Amino acid sequence: VRKKLPKPSQEGGGRKLGPENIIGETSDVEDLFKEEEDYKEENNYSTETSGTLKWKEDLSRKAAEAFLRQQQATPNLRKLIYGTVTEDNEEDGGDPREEIGGLFHISQPDRECKHKADSLDCSKFLVEAPHDWDLEEVMNSIRDCFVTGKWEEDKDAAKILAEDEE
Amino acid sequence: MATSTHSLGYAGCNFLRQRLVLATLSGRPVKIRKIRARDDNPGLRDFEASFIRLMDKITNGSRIEINQTGTTLYYQPGLLYGGTVEHDCSVLRGIGYYLEALLCLAPFMKHPLKIVLRGVTNDQVDPSVDVLKATALPLLKQFGIDGESFELKIVRRGMPPGGGGEVFFSCPVRKALKPIQLTDPGKIKRIRGVAYSVRVSPQMANRIVDSARSILNKFIPDIYIYTDHMKGLNSGKSPGFGLSLVAETTNGTFLSAELASNPQGQGVAVLPEDLGRNCAKLLLEEIYRGGCVDSTNQSLALLLMTLGQQDVSKVLLGPLSPYTIEFLRHLKSFFQIMFKIETKPCGEELKGGDKVLMTCVGIGFSNLSKTLK
Repeated sequence: VRKKLPKPSQEGGGRKLGPENIIGETSDVEDLFKEEEDYKEENNYSTETSGTLKWKEDLSRKAAEAFLRQQQATPNLRKLIYGTVTEDNEEDGGDPREEIGGLFHISQPDRECKHKADSLDCSKFLVEAPHDWDLEEVMNSIRDCFVTGKWEEDKDAAKILAEDEE
Repeated sequence: MATSTHSLGYAGCNFLRQRLVLATLSGRPVKIRKIRARDDNPGLRDFEASFIRLMDKITNGSRIEINQTGTTLYYQPGLLYGGTVEHDCSVLRGIGYYLEALLCLAPFMKHPLKIVLRGVTNDQVDPSVDVLKATALPLLKQFGIDGESFELKIVRRGMPPGGGGEVFFSCPVRKALKPIQLTDPGKIKRIRGVAYSVRVSPQMANRIVDSARSILNKFIPDIYIYTDHMKGLNSGKSPGFGLSLVAETTNGTFLSAELASNPQGQGVAVLPEDLGRNCAKLLLEEIYRGGCVDSTNQSLALLLMTLGQQDVSKVLLGPLSPYTIEFLRHLKSFFQIMFKIETKPCGEELKGGDKVLMTCVGIGFSNLSKTLK
């Protein structure tokens, strides 16, 4: 199956049609088999000549995709903090007012940022989703924050003492 | 300070304190519009008016203009003067609300600040005076703000809604701040706390201590929670009780958590046992977040890093609070300082959640108004 991957565009087209037609008509099934044979030949051909190059091309593309995926998964704090500043200011500057009959303007329901602007000024960071501290695994998640927990190799008093004695 | 720079504009009442504090330190005027403009009761509240009066007291030559409805505030900062001041804080917010701003400003006064604040010492909204005393003061010491006159004392305890507490805060002045390198929080070696009770049975505090210990003892044996029962005039005007806990690490990091009982006549009665247990769990949450600075003091640390000498400062923080994120944006607009922000995933270690490493180069702020002796 893996060998087919480098050529997804052609094969994808053939496959999509496949399952619908298989049910009634045998000729289509035969066609499918033929197509698959064609692919095998093609694949063999490619591995013999420019196989290594293709593998490399694919790798760089995959790496780029993986990088992008990771970028999206881990929030870019810098962009989150500083990137939105300009947007906020722009929103304040432009007043998108809808007027009715040139006299009244519709008061827009408060958007999230507007709501935030008049909320409580407090520095406390409230815990939104508290852990269940009765569970053993949750308790273990902070075990090494205490002196009673496991120490790093270079800071473990017992290890350092043992080394000194040697 | 420079007054020729144009003013910065903001909308809404949120983050009022940080805007006024940064305006004062940078010397840039601010204009805040649309303060509760769509509210049934528009404009500034009593506690904000009280805060603005406090800013006026500790500075010299500030210009404050508020429009008739109180929805627009213009503030042109004067020089930070300091000296001996008294202030009656609004009972709608804790003294912590006012003290947090003073902690940012006090090191940069012309004369050392000696201030008496009256109001609510412990409530459910703001960081209490106990917590600020245990966490913010050691943090300021890391920046070289220290000395005999550096103290925060609770003279009287006051709970909402009546208040009646009194706090004395004095802070020496510094010309320049030391840069910090706080990248390793160390390990928690002990947990301290204060269980206080006013105008209720002193037994309440003991019950809180027992229940909090029952949870924390699973992690570390070195726990001591003081019971503090103030009587007579020193107990303020309203009954109540509460607990503040602080975990201290081997490297001098202080992480805190606190809870207070519901104010008299509001909500259901809270059992001291529940309060103790819940507060202990909040401390565990704070430890899970981790970092070298407590989550309430993140913005204070970042401010003092910004104002430090022209040298690199580093601090490892837990997840950034919404208040801190807004503070970072404000630091950018007032001081043109952007932090380098690196996420440090926790990995396989049993040390809580992901951390954030914040790095910046100080702007070399120096306190020019400090008198030379």
